[in-house]
Parts: sequence; structure tokens; C-alpha cells
Amino acid sequence: MAVQESAAQLSMTLKVQEYPTLKVPYETLNKRFRAAQKNIDRETSHVTMVVAELEKTLSGCPAVDSVVSLLDGVVEKLSVLKRKAVESIQAEDESAKLCKRRIEHLKEHSSDQPAAASVWKRKRMDRMMVEHLLRCGYYNTAVKLARQSGIEVALPSVPGAGALPGRQCEHEAKTARKSRAASGSPRESEDLGVEAVRGRPELSCLEFSLRIQEFIELIRQNKRLDAVRPAEGTCPPVQGLLPPDRGTMAAESLLLGFGDVLGVPSRLSHGQDGDLGAHVLSLEAHQDSIVLVDLLDPARWRMLIQQFRYDNYRLHQLGNNSVFTLTLQAGLSAIKTPQCYKEDGSSKSPDCPVCSRSLNKLAQPLPMAHCANSRLVCKISGDVMNENNPPMMLPNGYVYGYNSLLSIRQDDKVVCPRTKEVFHFSQAEKVYIM
Amino acid sequence: MEQCACVERELDKVLQKFLTYGQHCEQSLEELLHYVGQLRAELASAALQGTPLSATLSLVMSQCCRKIKDTVQKLASDHKDIHSSVSRVGKAIDRNFDSEICGVVSDAVWDSREKQQQILQMAIVEHLYQQGMLSVAEELCQESTLNVDLDFKQPFLELNRILEALHEQDLGPALEWAVSHRQRLLELNSSLEFKLHRLHFIRLLAGGPEKQLEALSYARHFQPFARLHQREIQVMMGSLVYLRLGLEKSPYCHLLDNSHWAEICETFTRDACSLLGLSVESPLSVSFASGCVALPVLMNIKAVIEQRQCTGVWSHKDELPIEIELGMKCWYHSVFACPILRQQTSDSNPPIKLICGHVISRDALNKLINGGKLKCPYCPMEQNPADGKRIIF
Repeated sequence: MAVQESAAQLSMTLKVQEYPTLKVPYETLNKRFRAAQKNIDRETSHVTMVVAELEKTLSGCPAVDSVVSLLDGVVEKLSVLKRKAVESIQAEDESAKLCKRRIEHLKEHSSDQPAAASVWKRKRMDRMMVEHLLRCGYYNTAVKLARQSGIEVALPSVPGAGALPGRQCEHEAKTARKSRAASGSPRESEDLGVEAVRGRPELSCLEFSLRIQEFIELIRQNKRLDAVRPAEGTCPPVQGLLPPDRGTMAAESLLLGFGDVLGVPSRLSHGQDGDLGAHVLSLEAHQDSIVLVDLLDPARWRMLIQQFRYDNYRLHQLGNNSVFTLTLQAGLSAIKTPQCYKEDGSSKSPDCPVCSRSLNKLAQPLPMAHCANSRLVCKISGDVMNENNPPMMLPNGYVYGYNSLLSIRQDDKVVCPRTKEVFHFSQAEKVYIM
Repeated sequence: MEQCACVERELDKVLQKFLTYGQHCEQSLEELLHYVGQLRAELASAALQGTPLSATLSLVMSQCCRKIKDTVQKLASDHKDIHSSVSRVGKAIDRNFDSEICGVVSDAVWDSREKQQQILQMAIVEHLYQQGMLSVAEELCQESTLNVDLDFKQPFLELNRILEALHEQDLGPALEWAVSHRQRLLELNSSLEFKLHRLHFIRLLAGGPEKQLEALSYARHFQPFARLHQREIQVMMGSLVYLRLGLEKSPYCHLLDNSHWAEICETFTRDACSLLGLSVESPLSVSFASGCVALPVLMNIKAVIEQRQCTGVWSHKDELPIEIELGMKCWYHSVFACPILRQQTSDSNPPIKLICGHVISRDALNKLINGGKLKCPYCPMEQNPADGKRIIF
């Protein structure tokens, strides 16, 4: 491996790269814990309710029969409580164990066995690549890669499956996206999206955007009346997210083309409220006006998808960019030199990653490596030129390592590999690099 | 390491609590059910049928009610108490790992552009081919509707087929390949073909005395290599002497070492890659690995720059703010940094060799001219600035 990481470097990298690896299962654990608490609380209150009823009956000198039947109720509720509690605890225990498996996998990085450490590094790259593929929606590839590389995905109970933070989120996203792609029925996608975000309304205006899209679709299908009705009907839940206004808020901002902006308050004066119907109905007629064309643009779906993705990532504490791409960008930048981009291609090196076909294009927009001290490698051998292999200049200005010149020297002649000029070996002059 | 241990400690506590709580919960509810069941059975026994509840029983019953209430409420509040441990895990993660992994380079340079994404997919496909994960690569091509032309795949398919055979100790395909590329391999100074023949010969030796004739006749394959590999051929011929006694106990036992197979795989990969103009290591792996080194450093420097609020420091958008030490193995190109101006030379500001052999950049040279004369900053030599010669690394 060309790049060697020291233990300290590894641990620093771990710190910046692995947050989502642990945080995503932790969020699941947290969610399950809350759900468990809710379940237990609910069943407990059911039990106390029947017990309270029993107590009330007891105070009035009841017949044994009625007490027995009340007791039956208590037994039933208690059994339900027991079942639910056991189920919930199992669920939270499971996600805690997933968390633990990931930790255990991460701990392997510091193995003293070099072979084990290098396997860990290969897996690190693979699992980050898997996460990247999941984010791109390349599902089967991701699963296949994970399986081949021994970081099994599908079952959370398999060790190392933990290594895949994006998986679960992507699953949700994928389902939603599918129904989006069909684009005819915004309903399901919407429900999914809304459900996902509802827990944390402060996070996002996704729901609002989704409602607007629904509205637009109805207009597109020429169901104008339907369009107005849901706009009013669905606004109550939305209202909480937006600056208070009338129920027609969504429609208004829609007309103004604000729909894609996060929760922009309508700057419409209230006087225009009455005109709403007219606006809506004239929507079709005004299709060419800039605002409306924008609204009817199918590209809005793509934007929605993007927004949904980002919100979904955020909901699971993931960043917008995959760790894989960010790491790759940093790496390409650290290697990139002006020589990788010489127009004639003469200075390309077959081993340099940035000189390879695809990565060369990828690295184009990235900054170059910073290099405060000279580092010289011989063009012929690729060896470092230093005091053991001093750089020698031929009379044409081209510099090669001393050892290489010795190896290409024939009798007393050397041929410059780049210009094919022939010189005497003795004409090579030492150059001093500070 | 420490970070992981920290999170793990908290996690272990939670797991322990789940375990005890789960057991306790199940057990106490079981007991309660048993107790209530007993009471019910007592009440339901025929003797009491149809009569009103006696005072004693009434007392027992209300005690029972209290017990049920207390137990279930305690269970609920016990579960709630675990919450602090759970959230401590989250805090441990937040404390020990960086939540913000940000685009150190430029945010979302690739994200917005579909084309860049496609190139990245392509790079991944190439990587997968190079790693021999052909089926995964095919799957990705299909899913991302990338078109990889056969010309591109062919060499990888072939190399992988040969490598797989080598892993199973089958020399046939590799020898075939080496013979058909003999001329170019020789130009590369490669001894691949010889090594393959040698391995074949050794395998015959391992077969014992009955293979002796076959081995001897195979030895004629060494003829073309006699000049370059004289010594190794002598060793192999010498080993024939010990064939009857068993090679394992002879001075030639090292020939049977299994490491030769690992070595031949390596030699083959290296030579075949350089023959095909490919890098030995997957470019994506190397880039990713250097990214793993670079990322923490860059994030650190970014944090420092933002903290000091001197955002101007990183004005050079086309260059990283700090040098990333990747080790000499990652020096792929010569970079000359002018020792005077401390910046990389370029086409417009090339390196100039002074008469005395010291190299500085042209900009530095122009700045050092004084009265038409130039004094080398490193030695006492005075010279005419026009005598400096542009050099190319």
C-alpha cells in the first residue's frame, strides 16, 4: 500500500469519519427506547385502570362472582403488559447490541497484526463505498459489495452489518422516491415524507413543500376545485410550521412561487385573499408567466426528492455528503499536482491516481496539494532524487537522477528519453536543490 | 482507541441495565400473575359461589390491588430511569467523534453536477474491476446505466482469470500469457516467464523421484534464460541430486516454500499492470487512503482558520492551505518549490539553474538582480542573470 497510516493518524481519522457509523444506530436505540417507554406506560395505565375499577367495586360489598370477573380483566391486562414489555425490551436490546457490534468492529483498527489492520482498512473503504452507493440509490450493488467484502448488510443481526449507517434511511428514501418517480400519485410519497419529518417539525419545511406539490399536481390534472379544498383542509397541520396566516397560505405562496423556498411568509396583503379562487383558476391560463412555469416544471420533483433526502439524512444525523466522497476529495487534493494536468500529457505518471482517466476528471475542480518543500522524482526510474541519487541536468535542461543516467549510459553516451538528443555522460551537471 | 472504549463503556452499562431490567420485569410480572391467579382460583372455588365477599377477603383483595399498582408503576418508572444511561451513550458518541464532517475542500463540488457523479461511478466501476469484484462491477453498471466498453473490461477480465488460476496453483494460463507477451515483458526487464517456468519445475520436483525424467525434460525451458538467471538455474539443477532422499531434508528445502506462490501472484500483477499501462494499486484505493490521512489534518486547519476568523488565509482556492505528508511512495511527480519564494514553480515561473548549480525560481531570480548582476543567495558566486538556465524535471 502506497499510503501508510500511523496509529495516531488512524485514530484521528476514526474520529472524523465514524460519527455516523455509531450515531445512526444510537438514534435507532433512542427511538426504540422511547417507543418502549410509551408502550410500557400505556399498558401500565390500562392495568391501573382495571385495578381502580376493582377497588371501587370492593368498597361496595360485591358478590364474589363480580370480583372474579374483574380479576379476570386484571389478569388479562397484566399479561398484555408482560408481553409488550418483553417485546419492547427485546427491540431496544437489539439496537443496543447493533451499536455494540459497530464499536467492536471499529476497535479492530488498532490490531497489532498488520494483516488484520490492513483487512480493517480495506473494509473501511468498502463500507464507506457501500454507504455512498446506498445514497446514490444503487441498492443491489451495495448489497453485493457488502456481501463480497464480508460486511454483510441485510440482517442487522449479522456482525458488521452495523457498518452501514445509511442503509435504513435509504430504505425509506427509496420507497418514497419510487412513488415519486411515478409522479402521478404524490399521495404515498407524501405520507411517507410527512411521517418521517413530523416528529421534528422544526427541522424542515418538507411537509409544506409536499403539500404544494400535491396542489400543483391537482392543478395539472385540471381538478381545480379539489385543489382548493385540500389546500384549506391540509393547512392546519402545516400552519404550525409556518408563520400564522390563513388556511390559504399554502396556495398563496404557491401562486407567488414561494413554494420552493423554506417557509417564506407570504408577503401578500390580506386584501388579496378573496382573489384566491381567481388566481387558482387562472393558473392554467397563465402558464407562460415565469412564476407559474416554474411551478409546473417537472424539475420540481427532482428538487423535492433532493430535499427529502437531505431531511431524511438529517433526521438520522447524517451529513448531506457521504464520508466516502469527502474523503476522496481530500485525498485527490492531497495528491494533485500541476503535472497531472499538463496539456500534452507528457508528465503523466502511470502510478499517480490523479493521472488516471476518471479520477483526473474528478479532481479537476479540486485544489492542488500544497508543497512548501521540493520533492523530486526521477522521470526515468520514478526514484526519489536526493543526496544518494543526485539530480543531474543534461545540456538541454532536462534533469534526471544520477543512478538512472548511469543505467541508460552506453559507452560514454546518454540519450535524453524525452528529446532523444545524444550527449556525453560527462556533460551532465549536478544541480543543487535547497 | 480511547474513543471507542469510552463509548463502549457506556454502551455496556446500558446493555447490562436492559438485561437486569428485562429479567426483573419478566419475573415480577410472572409472580404477580401467579399471585392474582391464585387469588382468583380461591375466590372461584365452589364454596364461595354466589355469596357476598367476606371482610377478610375484601382486605386481601385491596392489598392485592395495591400490590399490583405499586409493582407496575415501579416497573414503568424503572424503565424511565434507564433513559439517562441511554442518553449518556449518545453524549459519549458526540464527545468522542466529530459530528461535523464537512467538505474541507469545496463544499459539494461534485454533488450538484450529475456528470461528476457519473465519473465517480465510473471510477468505482474501474476500481471494482481492478479488485476482481467483477460481479459487483457489472451490477453497478446495470444499476447506474453506465456503459463500459468491452475493450476496457477485457484486460481486467483476463488478468483476473489468470490470477484466480494462480491462486489455485495453476500455472497454465499465466504461462500462456507470458509467452504471448514475451517480447514486451523482456523490454520491461521482467523475469515473469522465468519465474513461472521455475515454479512449474519446482512442482515437478515436489512430485518425487518418479517425476525426475519429466523435470529434466522440462528444464530445457530454461534455455533462453540461461544468461540472466544462471545462478537460479544452477540451484534447481543441484536440487535434482537430492530428489531420491527427499527434498524436504536437503539444503534445497527452501524451494518448496509456499511463499513462491504469493510472490508469483505479486510479480504477475505488477508486470502485467505495467505492461498494460495500469497502476498496480487501484487509483481509487490510493486516493481514498490518502484522503484518510488528509481529512483530519484539513479539518483541523479549517477549524483553526474559522476560529481565528482570518478567513483570508485560505484565499488560495486552488491550493490546499497545508502540506499533507503522504510519504515518499506518493511522490508521483517532481515538484520544485522555490526556496526563496516558498512556492511551487509553474510554466510562467519556471525553475532556473544558476551557474553555480543552485536552483531558484525565475521570479526570485528577477528580484535578486542588483545592478545587472546576480549574486547567488546560497554561495558567494556573482553571475550574469542571463546565464541562468531553465531546467525541466
